[in-house]
Amino acid sequence: MIGESKVLTILREIIQKSAAEQTEAVFIGKDFGLTRYANSFIHQNVAVHNTTVFFRSAVDGKTGVSSTNSLNRESLLKAMKNSLEIAKFQPSNPDFKGFPQPAKYKKIDTYFEPTARYTPVQRAEVIKKICKEADKAKVTVAGAFSTSSSEVAVVNSNGLAAYQPVTAASINLIAMTDTSSGFASGLSRHVVKLPFGSITETAIRKCLESQNPVELEPGKYDVILEPAAIAEVMNWMTYIGFSAKAYLENTSFMSKKIGKKAMAPDITIYDDGSDQAGLAVPFDFEGVPKRKVFLVKKGLVGGPVYDSLYAVSGKTKSTGHALVPGSSEGPMAGNLFIAAGKKSRESLIAGVKDGVLVTRFHYINGLLNTTKTLMTGMTRDGTFRIKNGKVVGPVKNLRFTESIAKAFSRVGGVSRETNLVPNWWDDLGCCSSPTIHIKKFNFSGKTDF
Amino acid sequence: MQEKLKNIIYHLKAKKVAYGDARYVCTTRQSIGVKDQIVEAISQNDDMGVGIRVVVDGCWGFASTSILAEDELIKAANLAIKIAKASALTKREEVNLAGVEPYVDKYATGYREDPFSVPIDEKLKLLFEITKILRANKAVQLAHANLDFFRTKKIFVSTEGALIEQDIMESGGGYEATAVGGGEAQKRSYPASHRGDYACAGYEFVRQMGLIENAERVAEEASILIKAKDCPVGETTVIITGSQMALQVHESCGHPAELDRVLGTEISLAGGSFMTLDQLGKLKYGSEIVNIVADSTIPGGLGTFGYDDEGVKACRSDIICDGQHVGYLSSRETAPVIKTPSNGCMRADGWNSIPLIRMTNINLEPGQWDFNELIADTKKGLLLDMNKTWSIDDKRLNFQFGTEAAWAIKDGKLGEMYKNPVYTGMTPKFWNSCNAICDRKLWHIWGIPSCGKGEPMQTAHVAHGTSPARFNNINVGVSK
Repeated sequence: MIGESKVLTILREIIQKSAAEQTEAVFIGKDFGLTRYANSFIHQNVAVHNTTVFFRSAVDGKTGVSSTNSLNRESLLKAMKNSLEIAKFQPSNPDFKGFPQPAKYKKIDTYFEPTARYTPVQRAEVIKKICKEADKAKVTVAGAFSTSSSEVAVVNSNGLAAYQPVTAASINLIAMTDTSSGFASGLSRHVVKLPFGSITETAIRKCLESQNPVELEPGKYDVILEPAAIAEVMNWMTYIGFSAKAYLENTSFMSKKIGKKAMAPDITIYDDGSDQAGLAVPFDFEGVPKRKVFLVKKGLVGGPVYDSLYAVSGKTKSTGHALVPGSSEGPMAGNLFIAAGKKSRESLIAGVKDGVLVTRFHYINGLLNTTKTLMTGMTRDGTFRIKNGKVVGPVKNLRFTESIAKAFSRVGGVSRETNLVPNWWDDLGCCSSPTIHIKKFNFSGKTDF
Repeated sequence: MQEKLKNIIYHLKAKKVAYGDARYVCTTRQSIGVKDQIVEAISQNDDMGVGIRVVVDGCWGFASTSILAEDELIKAANLAIKIAKASALTKREEVNLAGVEPYVDKYATGYREDPFSVPIDEKLKLLFEITKILRANKAVQLAHANLDFFRTKKIFVSTEGALIEQDIMESGGGYEATAVGGGEAQKRSYPASHRGDYACAGYEFVRQMGLIENAERVAEEASILIKAKDCPVGETTVIITGSQMALQVHESCGHPAELDRVLGTEISLAGGSFMTLDQLGKLKYGSEIVNIVADSTIPGGLGTFGYDDEGVKACRSDIICDGQHVGYLSSRETAPVIKTPSNGCMRADGWNSIPLIRMTNINLEPGQWDFNELIADTKKGLLLDMNKTWSIDDKRLNFQFGTEAAWAIKDGKLGEMYKNPVYTGMTPKFWNSCNAICDRKLWHIWGIPSCGKGEPMQTAHVAHGTSPARFNNINVGVSK
């Protein structure tokens, strides 16, 4: 950790030397440790220390981005100068109205010393205990356990200065036999809050219960989608549906449908950067304070998330969802919540006469028809048949092909319990989700295991 | 930098590690993306650092740092040792590495025109010209075009005496036209979807891609597609064009042939493989005309290099030979399991990542058919072109892929265009239904700069040489 004072001083001193009309510097520093295990032993164990500074220069309505991961003064000045050179060659962008003005940020505790100080030996000891439980149950285990501490800072020539230290701890676990697997995961900014015991117990129990699965013919079934399955779907929704880029390009299910019915009244989906039940952070990579955004409210389309550039074309204000400078993906929701319901998970299962319980999806693709939120993917790590309100046994994995907005219009119930699930590709974003009962979910194919 | 890396090796030897290597990587990436007549994203990023890998107490440790001062590098080396000792808390067996000659060598990508010396305004002019042509078609409501260039310097040293310097240059790009109407959006891309086509080459690769020449056709096809009928549902013969064949090879052969997946070490995220060890030499993966090789030596391929990130020399090896499964993609640690030397597939996506088994150029060898004769030989079926969606189960058996467009084939002639084509199958059954592969005239190495694997996620640059191929009895239109 470099610390707030030093980071802001470095960035301010450098951008003062800029010849651009406006200049922005974004600092990301990270110490990251990750221990991977498979076949019940550690096979990869890594540590990374890195810092990257992005510069965005603006001149005549044009912006250019350059970055370096060297913190020496010469490299920083070179990168900043390069960003201006890149900017000069472009036509003006009418949507660029300058970098954000200084703002006040909510004070949020996002940094926890025990997570930052967690050692490779401590991670290995946790995994050793998991392996011991796995041996007792005669299963093997695989997964990853990471801990990190990061600093994020944004400074611009309008006087904006934002700094936030954050920590994160994430674990995922698959237990396996020759014919089955079970999954569980945990995520928190505070490593001591991760319930290693219950995560291990859940994965092993699901694995043992899903041994010797039987084939189930594809078709329409009521499904109980557990939080990890919902979160995988929501990862795609953030990309194809909840972003102002998709919305304004008319490729989102939300496009031209604000206020209209899209899902069942039981469904409310929102992004809230300040809710510490997720991975809260008070501002985005432009230094804009994060606002709570209702993407879907009681089944009605709320609106997408914006950064400052897309806010101009959308004739609104940024909601504080900019990605790092130079990203072409547009703004992105990162701290996603699906509002909890009133029923227990058990009562949702009890309400299913003939259906399937899905622990998790694999390799979803959401590009089939983005305006209709048509997606396909496979089940994995614990798929079970439900009959007359009871889980009666495991089934082989199934492929779904389904419009998610339509599926979420056929809701049989939403659980009051929620789980926090990390994005599958990084530890920057997450989705807090309940278990949801969807009626007549379309399974279009099957596989051999 | 070389001296600093050598000092790390001296230090590791003094600490009596069983094995150690240090890898310096410095990458400059320039990325330019335009939307219509606006610059959507333009950036140049420099990234450098050192990754240190050790085997201590029979286990792996890895530490990396972007701070290149001597004391910080030694600190990282000590951390790698400490991490390896932590790994040993769960040790079941000792890491056993296949032997490799400790090469002292230099390698560089051959190219004619340094893409970083081509002015940015020239690149923008090209991209704006493309999007102008695309938007000239009134049905096209959105046009994206992009170029990306990567220059990577690598130095690898090991406690076994290797000292390898490599300079890799990569260039590429592409574009897409989006037509919106009737409550949906339809895209056509060129030369391939998902950011285009890439090669280990200089700017000459961009100049010869035919970007301008194909723009009007691509826009026209997008405008037809938005009004086209949905692809018919049912079992039929399909001819799959080259870029989609690249995706097919990637997902259904490249990934399942990775020996780390086979051995279960990627199971928690990416999954395992149906190409299990007991199937080696026995599995009839495809029909007799199916030959798939891993070849990191082929000039221009995006998976071409001099040495992998363990210092193993680039090579060519068979994965599928006359339809039989005969090989895997391996590393020094996994190769002893199948009693072979490593075929050099270990690569990291930067200094801060540990090398994993990655695809190189995984190529479907060309067959005998002329493309026009293949169409003429097909009584009824579909021509499927350009990837749109991809999904496959965690053992790489059940797949469902979507393409941007399909054309009816009737009595040996191409007919009506269809939208939203999707086809599905089980991998060995699919490849065993392959009854024709086109010849070298349409064989092309498609560069994919976005292959994801590992935790934390690493993005590899890989490629697939393919030509169009025909498959019988394939289920299409299953998304209905």
